[in-house]
Amino acid sequence: MRIFSFGVLAILCAVTLGAQQKTAAPPNISGAWERFGFNLGQPTADGQRRDGTAPPRSEQPTLKPAFQKEYQDRLAAIRDANAKGAPIATGAVQCLGEGMPAMMQATFPIEFLQSPGQVTVIEEAFTQVRRIRLDQPQKKIEDVEPGFYGHSVGHWEGDTLVVDTIGIKENIRYQNVPHSDQMRIREKIHLATPDILWDEITIEDPVVLEKPFNVYYAFRRMPNYTLLEYICEDNREFRDANGIQQIHVNK
Amino acid sequence: MTKLFQILAVLAVAGAPVLAHHSFAMYDHTRTVTLKGEVTKFQWTNPHAYLDIDVGQKDGTTKHYSIEMTSINMMTRLGWRSNMIKAGDRVSVTMAPLLNGEPSGLMLDVTLPDGKKLEPGVPAVQTFKRTLPED
Repeated sequence: MRIFSFGVLAILCAVTLGAQQKTAAPPNISGAWERFGFNLGQPTADGQRRDGTAPPRSEQPTLKPAFQKEYQDRLAAIRDANAKGAPIATGAVQCLGEGMPAMMQATFPIEFLQSPGQVTVIEEAFTQVRRIRLDQPQKKIEDVEPGFYGHSVGHWEGDTLVVDTIGIKENIRYQNVPHSDQMRIREKIHLATPDILWDEITIEDPVVLEKPFNVYYAFRRMPNYTLLEYICEDNREFRDANGIQQIHVNK
Repeated sequence: MTKLFQILAVLAVAGAPVLAHHSFAMYDHTRTVTLKGEVTKFQWTNPHAYLDIDVGQKDGTTKHYSIEMTSINMMTRLGWRSNMIKAGDRVSVTMAPLLNGEPSGLMLDVTLPDGKKLEPGVPAVQTFKRTLPED
């Protein structure tokens, strides 16, 4: 009986502790943020930049041999085209959003919104939106229609929002790195200080990559900023038949 | 006040991270052109704003230029407003001309009738070599 009581007590304690851990309020990351830390000088030997609140230096991808040539040729073609003054048109030329994970570069400010069951991220440029469903199982890759932002689920592990994203269209590329439909993007989003937010991103792709690679972005809180609207109202840039960026000149 | 605005504008440009969505490789990075003319339209749009001006030529004719700026979101964060330039204003524009010779360019700065000089926050603006006005 005594053993039974002790057992019940232990279970009750465990349940109570578990409940406490579950109900601990996540940190407040809602609001507007701007990219931070990419211009703070050269990284030191350990990969950190001079300011400890800036993120580590991002890694370069290591591609499998079958994909390495395509990737290097693409980078060379971009360099050559720029040198000739005839840049290769990117999606931005057609006013297309960057998709994941490039959206998290935050070329323009981004906003995090925390609501029950969901964290929403909005990037001002091209009015990009991604939705991270909380405490839901991830789907199978074959059950997700590929898109620009994919299917994201997340949960809080203490103070860190852990996110898993699948289902990115193969033509939506991060810094021109090719990827397969098996790509998976893992993120750890957490406050480095009360006003500096880090996004530690790991990109996995067992088809294209020799090993996963990590990229890091940091954001600084913009306490008085409201994201502006962004509509491509008059886009004079276009992609010509050769895939080159051109511009209409109004005369 | 004008001075203060200029200082603030420079500080804003120096302090703000200026990143690009688009390549500006189709503009000449080796020289600038200075245009003095009359504004026909200041178009406050995304993805980029445009300033249209008529520039008097030596032979008495007028040549029209449509000058590309940056995103109005970036310009707003640098202190620009949509009513800062109006049709009829006489302005001086420093631009990196289009390499293909069309009457257009990328605005590096504009001087307004009251002497205010504004920059639209072109990314990597230091990579454009500035040359003296021709006249």
